[in-house]
Amino acid sequence: MQQNIEREIKDTNIRLCLDCGKCTVVCPVAQYDPAFNPRLIAQRRLSQNSRGSRDETIWSCLNCYMCVERCNYHVKFPRFIQALRAESLSEGTQIQCSHGGAMQTMMRLMTREGIKQKRLNWLPQDVELSGQSDTLFFVGCAPYFDVLFKDLGVNTLEGVKGALKLLNRAQIPFNIIADERCCGRDLLLQGDRKGFAALAKANVEEFTRHGIKRIITNCPECYYTLKVDYHNTFGGTGIEVMHLTQVIAPLVQSGKLSLGKLEKKVTYQDPCTLGRCSRIFDEPRRVLGAVSGLKLVEMEQSREKALCCGATSWLQCGAVNRQIQRQRFTQAEASGAEILVTACPKCQIHLTCAQKSSDGKAARIEIRDLASLAAQSLD
Amino acid sequence: MNNTGANIVVFTCNWDGLSCIEAAAQKGLSYPASVKIVRVSCLSRVHSGLILKAFELGTNGVMLLGCNPGGCHFEIDPGLIEREYEKTRNILGLLGLQEKRLALIRLPAGDGPGFVKQVNDFIAGIEQTEPATSR
Repeated sequence: MQQNIEREIKDTNIRLCLDCGKCTVVCPVAQYDPAFNPRLIAQRRLSQNSRGSRDETIWSCLNCYMCVERCNYHVKFPRFIQALRAESLSEGTQIQCSHGGAMQTMMRLMTREGIKQKRLNWLPQDVELSGQSDTLFFVGCAPYFDVLFKDLGVNTLEGVKGALKLLNRAQIPFNIIADERCCGRDLLLQGDRKGFAALAKANVEEFTRHGIKRIITNCPECYYTLKVDYHNTFGGTGIEVMHLTQVIAPLVQSGKLSLGKLEKKVTYQDPCTLGRCSRIFDEPRRVLGAVSGLKLVEMEQSREKALCCGATSWLQCGAVNRQIQRQRFTQAEASGAEILVTACPKCQIHLTCAQKSSDGKAARIEIRDLASLAAQSLD
Repeated sequence: MNNTGANIVVFTCNWDGLSCIEAAAQKGLSYPASVKIVRVSCLSRVHSGLILKAFELGTNGVMLLGCNPGGCHFEIDPGLIEREYEKTRNILGLLGLQEKRLALIRLPAGDGPGFVKQVNDFIAGIEQTEPATSR
């Protein structure tokens, strides 16, 4: 493990840190929790000659990449914190998972050999699948989310259905496989590398079995994990991975696909993993811009500076997270939009949860998935 | 004592639920030794995370044993367990682990024979189906 940490110190450029403190100034967690400080987390670990310390604050990082965005040397604090989490887990630390750890358990259950999921009952009959296509639409965990978060009334499958409708309308052939597993991103972020590797292996085997050459997904977390983390784990998978907006945006721009009309004023929440991590800022806006009648207004913090939805990897969810969410709602309301559009099912869940559980001061803004909104315009 | 291969976890409330298990013991009624009892203050304490964890750790079935509606020791039953039960059943279905591996049973206080019948029926139901994928 010590060797691993040495490698991570090198890979994440931690030694280039100038101690300027800009990471802490922009960090949404540090803003509300003075004990959290990315720079000092790294310093504390570097000053240890041996492992064994338990830094409790490492579990608060949102992996939003705001610190990396601001850092002059692009020191990758979030990735270093992931390594510290893996180290801490290997030392037997018990972590506090939100939702009673149901998410993490579900992911680990999916790593069982010979598991036969029944996860496609929601699939609308009018969706055209091409069994022979080498393009896969990766659904992600939306079927599970909608069961677990039924009380919140979130419907993340609407986004998936919207995505399928857009692809059908654009005449892009694709297939769906019944036994895809969770991409494993949340296990990776919280330091369970073994669990992540098992899910990744199971998924890649499924892709190979079905001869998949290209993957389209509507979830930014799946997108980044399949594209970057799987690549890093297996040294290249030979599969092209695209986010739905990357497929749809060029088509609406060239006029090959025309969207309908929707008289609404909307604002767009850049999901951290799609924006700062994957640098996809323009495509979602182009898709929204192609819906006639739709007016897009920006929030005070948008694009590279967008504020995180406040929670991540089903870890901690407390007062600090709520304050971040409240700040985001204030910005959304100030923009004057009727709908807060996001391209990530997890943003949708976290923001809806914050809206439902607040003390009556919650913003009344509607929260929608980008694909479902764009598909609605086709009706 | 009956022997069975099925590993069963019973989450039971400390009140009417547990009184059924104690009554079964006092009457000398036997049920399989592979049934593990986990006592909780109230079934409302049990959530999908705990139930799924039991499956992750290798159980073949989970039974939730509680008081009859209206009989909660704490007077107000917020109905949380019904919600968690439904949710977890659906998750088990999605995972392909079968909904019938989770049961919610409500019994009046002291119903020992009722508990033994329910737990035996539950095990028989699970053993009829193909075994869950092992860890």
